[in-house]
Amino acid sequence: MHSNEEKLAVVLEMSGITPPAEDQEAILRAFSTGRELSKLIFSVAQARYEEPALIFSARV
Amino acid sequence: MSDYLTISDALDALRDNKITATELVQDAFAAADAVDSELGIYLARFDEQALAAAAEADRIYAAGDPAGALLGIPLGIKDIISTLEGETTAQSLVLDREWGAAIGDAVVTARLRAAGGVITGKLTTMEYATGVPDPTKPFPIPKNPWNTDYWTGGSSSGTGSGVASGAILGGLGTDTGGSIRIPAAFCGISGLKATFGRVPKSGCVPLGYSLDNIGPMARSARDCALMLNVLAGYDASDPCAAEQPVEDYVAGLTGDLSGLTIGLDRLALVYADRDPAIDPAIDAAVKALTALGAKVVDVTLPLWDELSAATRITSRSEAFAYHAPDLQSRWDDYFEATRQGVGAAVAFSGADYVQAQRVRRVGQKALAALFETVDLVITPTSSVAGWSLDELGSMTERFLAMHTGYFNAVGNPALVVPMGFNDIGLPLSLQVVGRPFDETTVLRAGDAFQRVSDFHLAVPPMMSSVAVA
Repeated sequence: MHSNEEKLAVVLEMSGITPPAEDQEAILRAFSTGRELSKLIFSVAQARYEEPALIFSARV
Repeated sequence: MSDYLTISDALDALRDNKITATELVQDAFAAADAVDSELGIYLARFDEQALAAAAEADRIYAAGDPAGALLGIPLGIKDIISTLEGETTAQSLVLDREWGAAIGDAVVTARLRAAGGVITGKLTTMEYATGVPDPTKPFPIPKNPWNTDYWTGGSSSGTGSGVASGAILGGLGTDTGGSIRIPAAFCGISGLKATFGRVPKSGCVPLGYSLDNIGPMARSARDCALMLNVLAGYDASDPCAAEQPVEDYVAGLTGDLSGLTIGLDRLALVYADRDPAIDPAIDAAVKALTALGAKVVDVTLPLWDELSAATRITSRSEAFAYHAPDLQSRWDDYFEATRQGVGAAVAFSGADYVQAQRVRRVGQKALAALFETVDLVITPTSSVAGWSLDELGSMTERFLAMHTGYFNAVGNPALVVPMGFNDIGLPLSLQVVGRPFDETTVLRAGDAFQRVSDFHLAVPPMMSSVAVA
């Protein structure tokens, strides 16, 4: 199991973002909160077969 | 100055020849001259153009045909919304100034101007409408007129402090998670996030494409209704704009709440360090609303934490899509809070984003079910009256304390109005939420409350020494 710090390093590299050391702690904190938020929204049982609130129109 | 005019009062005075538009604009600029260096209201002022527009308004009044709904009213524009007169910066070193120059007036700016509004200048924001001030960057730090050790709230900071100090009579803010409602709350004024899609947002720098709203900020709900009458309505330039009928929102201000059922969710448990003045203020507001004819019942807003999370995931993901190229190449040019907050969107996957949209749909249905039993919902706008500029806290703490982002996730209209003060004299605020596209009932409740309260007319003590008409 990778730590959040390791996961963050990977996704930052994938995103092409190279924050300096002084910003790393705050981003790691926000990253960890973000993963908790992700777990929370996937825990909503009613959303299992719900359509997303997204609209695509074939006409511009 | 011990008092200054609402937009409604100013329009009456203009029509009755008790004041001229030129005098109104001069008074507003004089107030700004007196306090702007301390409060950080403006990024750019358009004195020459505004005075010329005011003179034209005076000519129209003198001719006896004052057709514009906001003719001669000095209004400011948050500097993420484009205007003809000056550059749009988003209070950022990063934004390409050519973007706004190519647009000229945003749809909302053009609508205010067509209604006779006098555009006084561009107002401070948090960088790109997110985060908190960064003293290392060459921009003003917005301070709260009620206590300059405190933050105005964000991100429509200059609109909040500008209205509260009389430097403008009203203005435009934008709201992706509370950026109209929070500075309105902290600065003791009124502000409306209309239903998503009600007001076209083309010509505005995006933060969260599916969450962004442009809306009015002014001293009273009535003033917000006057401005919404001008701002609302479909425009094809915004793919999110709704083709919905627009009502006369001022005509709906009857002062009577008879027959309305209002659900109250105190949101008492969502933030631990709640200001003890909030619940007595809520109690007094409930008493006033009941006396106006409404029935107030306790409710629980469904999926509070989940929808608040969906707002954060959506907002950050949509902002990251916009900012990624600049975050890659100009990281240090961003405000610290912007780069850390938007950059942290790397935490979210594409699946997280889509799941957030599925949760939003679930939440819309659950809230619609609640609105089958009530006509409106009220909550405190925030569990705090503000933060000092020295202790702005973490992003998560701010998200928890401010009770606004939930309504961006579902899209419903939400008005905030002042409801009292805490023990150090900072304003407290009540949030009034309605069914989608029912701004009329929301504004009616806010206006009715303001007919029996005067918190919205209070003037910050620092303005007592400013000698303006």
